[in-house]
Amino acid sequence: MTVPEGLLQESAEELFEDAPCGYLSTRMDGTIVRVNRTFEAWTGLRREDLVGRRRFQDLLTVGGRIYHETHVAPLLAMQGSIREIAVEVLRADGSRLPALVNAVVRRDEHGTPQVVRTTVFDATDRRRYEQELLRGRERERDIAVELQRSLLSGALPERPGLEIGLTYRPSERGLQVGGDWYDAFPLGADDAEVGLVVGDVVGRGIGAAATMGQPRSAVRALAATGLAPGALLEALDGFARRHEVGELATVVHARVDGSTGRLRYACAGHPPPVLAEPGRPARHLEGGRSLPLDAPIDMLRRPEAECVLEPGAVLILYTDGLVERADRPLDRGMEELLRALERLRELPAMELTDALARELAPPGERDDDVCVLALRRAPC
Amino acid sequence: MGRISPERVLARNNVSVLGAADAPAMVFAHGFGCDQSMWRFVWPAFADRYRIVLFDHVGMGGSDAGAFDDRRYATLDGYAADVLEILEALDLRDVVFVGHSVSAMIGVLAAGEEPERFARLVLVGPSARYIDDEGYVGGFGREDVEELLASLESNYLGWSSAMAPAIMGNADRPELGEELTNSFCRADPRIAAHFARATFLGDNRADLRRVRTPVLVLQCSEDVIAPREAGEYVHEHLADSRFVLMAATGHCPNLSAPEETVAAIEDFLAG
Repeated sequence: MTVPEGLLQESAEELFEDAPCGYLSTRMDGTIVRVNRTFEAWTGLRREDLVGRRRFQDLLTVGGRIYHETHVAPLLAMQGSIREIAVEVLRADGSRLPALVNAVVRRDEHGTPQVVRTTVFDATDRRRYEQELLRGRERERDIAVELQRSLLSGALPERPGLEIGLTYRPSERGLQVGGDWYDAFPLGADDAEVGLVVGDVVGRGIGAAATMGQPRSAVRALAATGLAPGALLEALDGFARRHEVGELATVVHARVDGSTGRLRYACAGHPPPVLAEPGRPARHLEGGRSLPLDAPIDMLRRPEAECVLEPGAVLILYTDGLVERADRPLDRGMEELLRALERLRELPAMELTDALARELAPPGERDDDVCVLALRRAPC
Repeated sequence: MGRISPERVLARNNVSVLGAADAPAMVFAHGFGCDQSMWRFVWPAFADRYRIVLFDHVGMGGSDAGAFDDRRYATLDGYAADVLEILEALDLRDVVFVGHSVSAMIGVLAAGEEPERFARLVLVGPSARYIDDEGYVGGFGREDVEELLASLESNYLGWSSAMAPAIMGNADRPELGEELTNSFCRADPRIAAHFARATFLGDNRADLRRVRTPVLVLQCSEDVIAPREAGEYVHEHLADSRFVLMAATGHCPNLSAPEETVAAIEDFLAG
């Protein structure tokens, strides 16, 4: 293959000066010693104003300059090169050139650094695209939070002799909300009872937020037919299987009679409810446990358990976001919940759930949704 | 919550103890941006006469990022509490504390809190407040800090959540070599932004007068992060301070001029 005459004549000088990227050579302190024509053309800065007069970091925005001093310069000193650093170069007219920068340190035969060679790539379109992606991610989260909020809206039921409190906080770490849900509704003849339910569907984001609306509606409808908690969860299994929603979702369902204090509950793969009775240590209610919804087992029986809420007793249903954290084993979180509840149990139900959420899953570090539902039987 | 165990503290902050056993201790604290490897050209000069303690602030380098707590580290006090916990875990008193950049103020806070643990403080490129104030030159405006946060966001330096466990699990840094490019300065962008806010939006001017420990202020020429005025302010508001203006330029003389840095510290420790 023959090379056209014109290409053979391309000199090293031309390759440097008119390369499709900006070239700079600087001393270790950043002072510019050489710069190519492309860089001049892109920035409007002239070599006579740069060479020996300005440092590369002086050409960056202030934020970029701090970044350069705290990250780039140390990396050059330690690993001898940097790659794909995003900066904005200030042009002569004050506008900004979004750029990606690579640099290598050239050393003499004793290993002493001599010069830093830096290439500057115009990244205008790439930066715009990245910003669109970031905005898109934030938008998706906003939609999921909004969807979650609208699906979970609705007033808490008011029953004589029962006080209900609720706190719900979407996750804030990462960009995706989880699939926690809850509901509380009047039940039974003369609405003497209250149905409570807290669940968690698999997955995150818009999908999870949309999915959880279905088991939530189903629980309400099934509970209205008078099904006891265990039977209700069995029916919910069928619903989840038929509609392919809620596989391996977890849920806890309780119904409480306001006049007698009778509590019946069942728990499908969900963290156990917590009960705090006056004058006794708080404890987990370990009865009525079975596997998560639509677990791959035929004809799964869903046991339920029952006890009586004494006057003044507080029942807490919650999701794992309250007790599970990367830096805290689950059993310790469950234990901390008991201790916190013993301290805070006298608070009004609404304040109690807020205080539990704040204490166990502090704002700023929640990487999952947190849902806490409290029911207190009025003291006699 | 109970007190944290010594083992937990040492793992949390990726503490390395090197140099002469049973000798007085020198503790080196890195600044905002990178990790303990920032001291690689400095600490060996003292290793024959001192016990050398290196560590990473939580969220940086080989520290346990899972221990990061937004509230604890909302201000520099949380980082200073970590330093005191490290000294307690190693049962150290009368240490020479060498703090670079923001860790200079972290040292000031720690020495103000528990003076008996500190014999000397060496503050490399200190600034008690980065944002200008009436009658005070910090060098930056509030909008500059916002720009830095944007810069951090677009420079994740190869960070991705998939990489995090590999990076965080590696306490032995040097062997990683070139494979993990930028590993010395890699951090979860969320944590880095939080640290940047605690660093650049803080005001620790009032904490200077609490320090009674003898201090060396090492000021670089042409430091865009900590201008000379900021270094002089620190020097003038400390009870017992020596000010040395270095020939080294930039913000990291520990990397760009290790000989000059070592000589200045030697001189101070001999005096």
